[in-house]
Amino acid sequence: MKNDELWLTLTIAAVWAVLAAVYAFVPSLGMPGYVRVWGGGAVLFLLLAGLLTAIGRKARQG
Amino acid sequence: MPDSRHFTTRRGFIAGLGFGAVSLYGAWAAYGAAPLPFGGKPSATPESDSHGNHDGHGAAEAPAEPAGHGGHGASTGMAPEEFRFEHDAFVRKYAQDDGSMNPHTGGSAHGQHGATAGHAHGADGEPVDVYLMAQKFAYSPDFIRLRTGQPYRFRMMADDITHGASIQLGSGSRIIRLRPNTVTEQTITFTKPGEYLVYCTVYCGQAHDAMQGRIVVG
Amino acid sequence: MSSMSTPFAPAGSRSRLTARIAALPAADKALLKLLFGAALLALALGLAGGFVTALARAGALTFFPDDAYRILTLHGVSVFFYWLYLIQAALLLVLAAAENGRGLALRPVAWLGAALMLAGFGVSEWISATGTPLLYDGSPELAVDDPRSVGFFALGYLLLSAGLVASAVSGIATVLQPRLRGDADEFSSIGFALFAWAGFLVVSAIAATNAFLPGVLWSLGAGPFPADHGTEWHILFHNLHYLPLMATVLVWYVLTEHLTGVKSIHGARMSKIVFAAYLVFVPPTSLYHMFLEPNLSESVRVVGSLLSLFVSVPTLAAFAIIVSSLEASARARGASGLFGWMRGLPWDNPAMANMGWAAVNMMVGITFAFVLIQGELAPLLSDTFFVPGYFHFFAAGVLTQTFLAAMMVMLPAFGGGALWRPAVLTRMPALVTAGLVLFGAAGIAAGFMGVPRRVFDVSYGGVAPAAWPVLMALVGVGATVFAVAIAVTVYGVVRTLLSRRTPAFQASVVDWRAGPDGVGAAPAWTGPLSVAALVAAMYVFTIVAFQLIQSLPIIAVGGGHGH
Repeated sequence: MKNDELWLTLTIAAVWAVLAAVYAFVPSLGMPGYVRVWGGGAVLFLLLAGLLTAIGRKARQG
Repeated sequence: MPDSRHFTTRRGFIAGLGFGAVSLYGAWAAYGAAPLPFGGKPSATPESDSHGNHDGHGAAEAPAEPAGHGGHGASTGMAPEEFRFEHDAFVRKYAQDDGSMNPHTGGSAHGQHGATAGHAHGADGEPVDVYLMAQKFAYSPDFIRLRTGQPYRFRMMADDITHGASIQLGSGSRIIRLRPNTVTEQTITFTKPGEYLVYCTVYCGQAHDAMQGRIVVG
Repeated sequence: MSSMSTPFAPAGSRSRLTARIAALPAADKALLKLLFGAALLALALGLAGGFVTALARAGALTFFPDDAYRILTLHGVSVFFYWLYLIQAALLLVLAAAENGRGLALRPVAWLGAALMLAGFGVSEWISATGTPLLYDGSPELAVDDPRSVGFFALGYLLLSAGLVASAVSGIATVLQPRLRGDADEFSSIGFALFAWAGFLVVSAIAATNAFLPGVLWSLGAGPFPADHGTEWHILFHNLHYLPLMATVLVWYVLTEHLTGVKSIHGARMSKIVFAAYLVFVPPTSLYHMFLEPNLSESVRVVGSLLSLFVSVPTLAAFAIIVSSLEASARARGASGLFGWMRGLPWDNPAMANMGWAAVNMMVGITFAFVLIQGELAPLLSDTFFVPGYFHFFAAGVLTQTFLAAMMVMLPAFGGGALWRPAVLTRMPALVTAGLVLFGAAGIAAGFMGVPRRVFDVSYGGVAPAAWPVLMALVGVGATVFAVAIAVTVYGVVRTLLSRRTPAFQASVVDWRAGPDGVGAAPAWTGPLSVAALVAAMYVFTIVAFQLIQSLPIIAVGGGHGH
């Protein structure tokens, strides 16, 4: 289960992206700040997932 | 290898414990504060007001909200300037010699002020309009005389910054938060006579502690 | 009666954690000592501010209103921002460095982070003491005619945020080092928790920037007045609640292993899922802070309440993992009795005492937090003293005691100094809890009665209920008890930080590591019974609140809530 941390990181990014999308596409909620914060968080965790992938590849290549 | 563990030390059970607090939903549903499964709705919906479903509230009934959820948001359809106009008219019309406002005097409060206001007096059981403005560090009006069992449509707004307009009712309070230039509407019926403190529950500056008013219910 | 064998670790032996901390490079130790020291200073300032505030509310001290609210501002800013964020940065870095085994990666970035956070600390304390009192949320509307106060207040938090980002970057780089070296091909559960926590700290910094950058821009004449500050604040505020709770659970994991040798019996994978669950469950559960907002629609209020039911999932799961692991390990070594197994824990170690009482405080805090998350009860409890009445169980009883416990274990390892008077420190958590129980009971009762949370004179010229000042006096007595007990602990931890004395003995630990046969088939009922008691208490106080709100002589409809 070496990929646990990768799929967990991606899950976090996905949940936050959905949350940001809900606040973005339902303007009547009136909370654009949620889009910025959780959207930014989703991007960050996507980057972290990319980092984990890159490090895993590097380790495999020796 | 067979798992010899007792069920209390197994992962599934431990994960289930994490969701233990979710069971509080049962209490909420019992009090009508959460939707029931399969689209059901408890009898004590916010529209009909749960207070009205319990003993000890006297004869007062919660007024029907013709607009469904319309009464639950701040968007009463009233612009801040319109509120200020109606508020000023309310204060002029119902001012009494003792400094109080009594919406049961002086005839129709709103007949001359356009369509946004409701009815005065409430002889037919309809809510009587009451306007309350909060500003540093006072309420306008700060002394209101009302009647037991009569529904009042409180229209409230903070004029400058965020304030509270909470009502102390003896063993507890009704906490109300007002945002500047946002008209909040609540239909309120007092079920017992008494003198109730109105006070600010949102810090608003150095005289926040002194910001108070009163409602006398006869 | 317990008959278990609980071998004590040999005197002078070090756990993996303390051995790795002792072996850190001198430059890392200097940075970490600086951060721990700054965090303790923030805690001391916040504690003093809170103590004076409680005495003023109790009527024992009198201040001019602006001074009173400046003290309240200093209390909130010092404790909720600088104590909790500085200690989180310090713990993230020290645990990451220990996990790495070779110290901090990107050390200059970590130093930059510390410098930025300390600069923010200075700016925030200065403007809180001298500017228009804005309380800890720094609402610009309170100082529309004083942009200087708004700007500097917001600047302090922005510097803190920038420092947090730098610290988190160093922390992430540090926990990735073993993998880059090829020493490991996956995280340990602690390593993953540090990785996720560091990411969450960055998101918290984004939330702070979202809330406070507009204030700086407005004060410089470069942007509009931040009229939406209240909403933006709530996003940050919610993070502010749960980030340190995640840190607390992580510290419990670390301390449990240090104090007993026990790791989770449920495997690293489950622990990783639980730590990830913090980040999954926390964001969607934030709406309960806004139930009194007049603009919030009824549907959002109902959905917000339902989502909030899930906010405790990761914390309760982590609690259950730790308690079941401890109990099962104890029973595998022969412990007996429904709760008797707990007698074998090293209670004479102050870190254990702090952690144990922190768990008790957590159960009390969660109980009342779950009364507040019901939207229909917001018109009874929000903006009242109910809120500080219950959250001090978390802030002081859970977070502060846990982080102080971590320092009691870590600081002696930094310089080889001795823990200050363990026998005294061991007694403080019970005293803290006793004070909190009085503070919380009176405060929660006051909240049920409608006492507002940010008012110094609650008499309202004699119009308010006569019980209000009495309850505030009791709050003051409770605050005195727990503030004194925490102050003693802080003093002891500071003495430990500064200690150069070689310890005469190590604080006791036990070795409960399971043998080759694993944990066996013995049941572990402490966790489920604790959760059952918690749920029962939640039901009781929720029902009390519903009964109370329905007994009020008022029928109300609309205006942002259903009652």
